[in-house]
Amino acid sequence: MSSVNIEKLKEIVGENNVLHNRADLYVYGSDSSVHEAMPDAIVRPENIEQVQGLMRYANSEKIPVIPRGSGSGMCGQVVPIKGGIILDMKGMNRILEINPQDGYCRVEPGVVDDDLNRALKPFGVFYPPTPASSCAATIGGEIANNASGGRSVKYGAARDAILAVKVVMPNGELLSFGSTTRVAASGYPLERLIVGSEGTLAVIVEACMRFVPIPKLRCLGIAKFNKLSDAGNAISEIMGSGCQPSMLELIDKIAIVAANKAANLGLPEVEAILLFEADGMSKEVIDLEMAKIQTKCEKHNCFGIESSYEEKERARIWAGRAKLFPALSKYDERLASTSLADDMAVPFSKMAECADKIHEIAERNGLVMTAYGHCGAGCMHTKILMDTEQHISWDAARRAVEEIYDFVRSVGGTTSAEHGIGLSKAQAFRKEKAASLDLMRAIKKAFDPNNIMNPGKLMDGPDNWVEATTLRYQSQ
Amino acid sequence: MTENAKLEILEKWKGALNKCIRCGYCYEHCPIYKSTRWEIDSPRGKLILLYGMLSGEVEPSDYVANKIFECFHCNRCQKACSSGVPIQDVYNDARAFFLDSGFDIVGTTSMTDHEVCARCLNCVRMCKHEARSFVDGKIVTDRLKCQSCGGCLDICPEKGVSITCGFGTNPNELIKQVDSFLNNPANPDAKAVVFSCGYSSYPGLQTSRYDKFEISKEYQILVTACSGRLKSHTVLETLERGAWGVLICCCPEDECEHGGSPRVKARMKALTSTLERIDIDPKRLQVVEVPQGNPGKFTESANSFIKEIRTLGPIV
Repeated sequence: MSSVNIEKLKEIVGENNVLHNRADLYVYGSDSSVHEAMPDAIVRPENIEQVQGLMRYANSEKIPVIPRGSGSGMCGQVVPIKGGIILDMKGMNRILEINPQDGYCRVEPGVVDDDLNRALKPFGVFYPPTPASSCAATIGGEIANNASGGRSVKYGAARDAILAVKVVMPNGELLSFGSTTRVAASGYPLERLIVGSEGTLAVIVEACMRFVPIPKLRCLGIAKFNKLSDAGNAISEIMGSGCQPSMLELIDKIAIVAANKAANLGLPEVEAILLFEADGMSKEVIDLEMAKIQTKCEKHNCFGIESSYEEKERARIWAGRAKLFPALSKYDERLASTSLADDMAVPFSKMAECADKIHEIAERNGLVMTAYGHCGAGCMHTKILMDTEQHISWDAARRAVEEIYDFVRSVGGTTSAEHGIGLSKAQAFRKEKAASLDLMRAIKKAFDPNNIMNPGKLMDGPDNWVEATTLRYQSQ
Repeated sequence: MTENAKLEILEKWKGALNKCIRCGYCYEHCPIYKSTRWEIDSPRGKLILLYGMLSGEVEPSDYVANKIFECFHCNRCQKACSSGVPIQDVYNDARAFFLDSGFDIVGTTSMTDHEVCARCLNCVRMCKHEARSFVDGKIVTDRLKCQSCGGCLDICPEKGVSITCGFGTNPNELIKQVDSFLNNPANPDAKAVVFSCGYSSYPGLQTSRYDKFEISKEYQILVTACSGRLKSHTVLETLERGAWGVLICCCPEDECEHGGSPRVKARMKALTSTLERIDIDPKRLQVVEVPQGNPGKFTESANSFIKEIRTLGPIV
């Protein structure tokens, strides 16, 4: 790799769109994960031509390029492990088209999810993945990561919403994948290949997504459980019986306590709760759906079910749930929340076992871990709460992460449900996908023969995430 | 004292900085980040910077010091932080460190031009934060106390006080934004400008642009710092440049920490009388109180204002 020529970068994107002060480099060297590493330059392109120019330059000099949205990823996807140029895509932040007739919108990658949904609202539609980080996450980042969220149980993830993308290839070529039509039968679905590729193939410069109508009514229910496994079994029962909740969230006691402390939510501090929601255009249909879900919860010993159509209360609870990730830092003054073993997916039938396993592994390793997530979509989250200044905590965390993903694979689950792989889940991902790693590398090589696109991630990620980069926390 | 010894003032915040999960949820609450969209201008970015100083990855410098001093003290980031990081307390100690170390700081602190200053001491008397004093014949700003609300700019009869880095809130920057909204051929429905106090509530897109179909094509929200900073001539220029009306959203008087609400109300009352004398309907200039955390009230007020303005039509 050649050293980055700052003057050349300024020539391509303009002087005001390049940063190379060490302070800026340091700030751009981390995301919401435990990792940090120094890039060589930050570039904020404003249009496709600038991205093309930049890629041509980086490719000729074999300089790594890491496209970045808001840096809200939890696994180190945008941490520049090999240095290089961070491409801050927030300079391309225009909503280009909202087309209600044909049911799609076109945006640049730096558009923030909540902003898009604010713009879509007057049209009576919404972009469905709704990750909890929608106030910060950009559409480009969500696509690169295949984000999903609370409503994915009914409406799917980014991969389900994508219709087409425009990408700039590492050699600067502009290509369009997919079609704005609802169906497109033939050929390899390259637009979907870009989804979840974590910036390792090409730079997303435009995305076309479908949207769905905002339902007229939504009803939110809360079911309480004295045993975590009962709540897990209720999820399995609900999803296995043809119910169609628009949200089905598990929250264990640790997460409940943290959410109450952070957002004064007033959630009942029982062993676990399920938040469930049904939506639709008529109250009769929603009532029926809610009753079906309640029956399944009752079968698994829930108590004190409450439900409400009241919009303000629903918004309050959902806002609190959306902030659960940062709120976990409030659980115990002595412990900080770290994004480790942050997400996974398991079959519905294994949800209860998975939740219990998380707590068992935490206890065995002297850590605090929580089990929560969009479990109706098969997604389980945890975080490791620990004294980050103690080296011993990191040894324990490393063991716990390995044990959790060993369990996930043993029950037919997968390493990431929605947060991606990046650096901290690469070891588990490589074990899970061992048979197809070479094929993935061959695909990457076809896109990126010089391996400049976000190198050292996904299938080429490190086996030892603790030592792969400097940790953003100082330990003794 | 060496710089490393001085840095100890920040050591106590290491635990709090560890608590910051770096989720970035503070982005949407920071007017400075929204203005530049650079990571280093966000509350998260500033906390990372301070962490970098503690870990030795970032050298303290004028550049870093200025970043930490660029803040309108609206405190939205801290209120919104679910991890409970006491952001302003961390900043305050960092600022004390930078001042103590003698860095060259501009930031968003209001500064007095001593060549112009008439020594009337109005700014000293009016500052709610006791940030201004008269020492050895000169006005001195206490950079740790200054909240960058701009009240002193407003009250200075000689225009001798300024905030160099306005991040879109200085009068010339506001007028530039007024122009690009009202005189944009792609937006023929532009009718009004809503000046919103940065400490109050304002909804809207945080960093994205939607040029073709703005959420409301009829009005543009422009954020001032404290509404008390809004000058009469800025409002008049806005009307001159084609606005059918101007709505000003300020904090309720009992919530306003900077004393700007009563000032802007009094000033606009006087301006309304002037407008009446030149046959401009006073309904075209309205002031409404919007409490923090109530974007619904903002939208309701803006919509009702626009409805009224539509019936009045353009100023002829």
